[in-house]
Amino acid sequence: MPGSRLIQRIQEISHRAGFIAVAVSFYDYESTVAFSYHADRYFHAASTIKVALLLAVLKAAEEGKLNLSGRLHVRNRFHSVVDGAIYRVSPDRDGDAETHRRIGRAVPIGDLARAMIVRSSNLATNLLFDFLGRDYIRGVVEQAGIAGLKFERGVEDEAAFAQGLNNEVTADGLLQLFRVFCDRRLLSEESCERAIAILLAQEFNGMIPAKLPGPARVAHKTGEISTACHDAGIVFLPDRQPYVVAILTEGPPEQRDRQKAVAAISGAIFHHLTDVVKRDA
Amino acid sequence: MRDLGLKIVDGLRLDPERRALLRPGETVTDAAGRRHVLPRFFYEIDSWEQAKQTSLSANFRLAELISVDCREAPILLDEFPHYVPCAVSILSRYLEAFRRRVDDFVFVSANGGYRSPAHALSRSPSLHAWATAAHIYRIGDTYLDDQNTIEKFARVAESVAPELYAKPFGHGENEADDHLHLDIGYVIYVPRDVDEAP
Repeated sequence: MPGSRLIQRIQEISHRAGFIAVAVSFYDYESTVAFSYHADRYFHAASTIKVALLLAVLKAAEEGKLNLSGRLHVRNRFHSVVDGAIYRVSPDRDGDAETHRRIGRAVPIGDLARAMIVRSSNLATNLLFDFLGRDYIRGVVEQAGIAGLKFERGVEDEAAFAQGLNNEVTADGLLQLFRVFCDRRLLSEESCERAIAILLAQEFNGMIPAKLPGPARVAHKTGEISTACHDAGIVFLPDRQPYVVAILTEGPPEQRDRQKAVAAISGAIFHHLTDVVKRDA
Repeated sequence: MRDLGLKIVDGLRLDPERRALLRPGETVTDAAGRRHVLPRFFYEIDSWEQAKQTSLSANFRLAELISVDCREAPILLDEFPHYVPCAVSILSRYLEAFRRRVDDFVFVSANGGYRSPAHALSRSPSLHAWATAAHIYRIGDTYLDDQNTIEKFARVAESVAPELYAKPFGHGENEADDHLHLDIGYVIYVPRDVDEAP
């Protein structure tokens, strides 16, 4: 499927799903094919921003700023980045009940990082955000040379939201972020492997992996809020190099079947890339 | 010299690194300009297992009152022996009396019992550095994270003894909004057989 046909397919899926905007970016390590479709448009990051925090946690561990086996007090009480007002993460809106059950106890930082990714724990995210600090996280993102990723605040910081302060990403930004792990940049081989292992354990698999063949393994992170539905990650297929993909969408709050639409785009990308390799062969 | 089966040590005789972190007998000034003297005598804890096995009272083990997170000074967190001011045993008596009153399990949070003066969360001088304060985050199955629950149990605590203080509910300094803070003030326990000569 040539690039123009892939764009046409993405537009068809997007139109049918009723998306307001779609952005796609991928890079294939096998064919070295790169593709961008509205990849510099900013979207609300939703939970995809947690991958940037994972990067920062692993960087902090390598720098000795924290120890992944060191324990952090689990407390559901945070200060807004805007005015310092106290806010909490709602257990009802959090995909991870386990970390809420551990309130009051001290939990290994490595476990919190894993919960933040595999169950998209908002509480674990804010604990790590609070511990590392926004400036440190931004510094790591900058050091990684990632453009297209704005880390502004913790999850459910309503005071910041009210002032229009949101975490934002572009498809290219997320692509660069995942490529840090593939390229073994910024972090050691061991830390990159650790990051990928955590991302492979993702429990929400209704988007990028859904339309891929059985042997595919995907190290990824989804992100959903009322108006956004994203997935980004690294796709590992047998007997070939992986490809990295980011699919970002924005739609009306009442939109249905949006995960299926993202899965369909993922499927189209898979067919495009496997066709490219076949054609080149 | 032993008490509770634990060795009692004079903080002034500890190695310089630990002394600098625990600051035994040092005078510190609180936010209101009042001066207080930090504890000088400590129980020495040889292992986490020993802390878990040491009963301070019928329902409180030493381990519950010394659990801290990675914001504690690394040497105090990672290396045994650990040290806790002797007043921890007095605090446990009040917590036990409180537990009898509420007739349910009382859970003290991590960082909620003893924290050294070097702990990143220890505002100088935090009563936690005297081992005379406890953060209770849960009683039975009830989490103490709203005004009604915190105030209800604060009233129970204050009925135990006049010296048992509960911080009022609130989001500011000297208030609590996600736990019940109890303390018995700047109590220093000097076991009877120790020599207080400098």
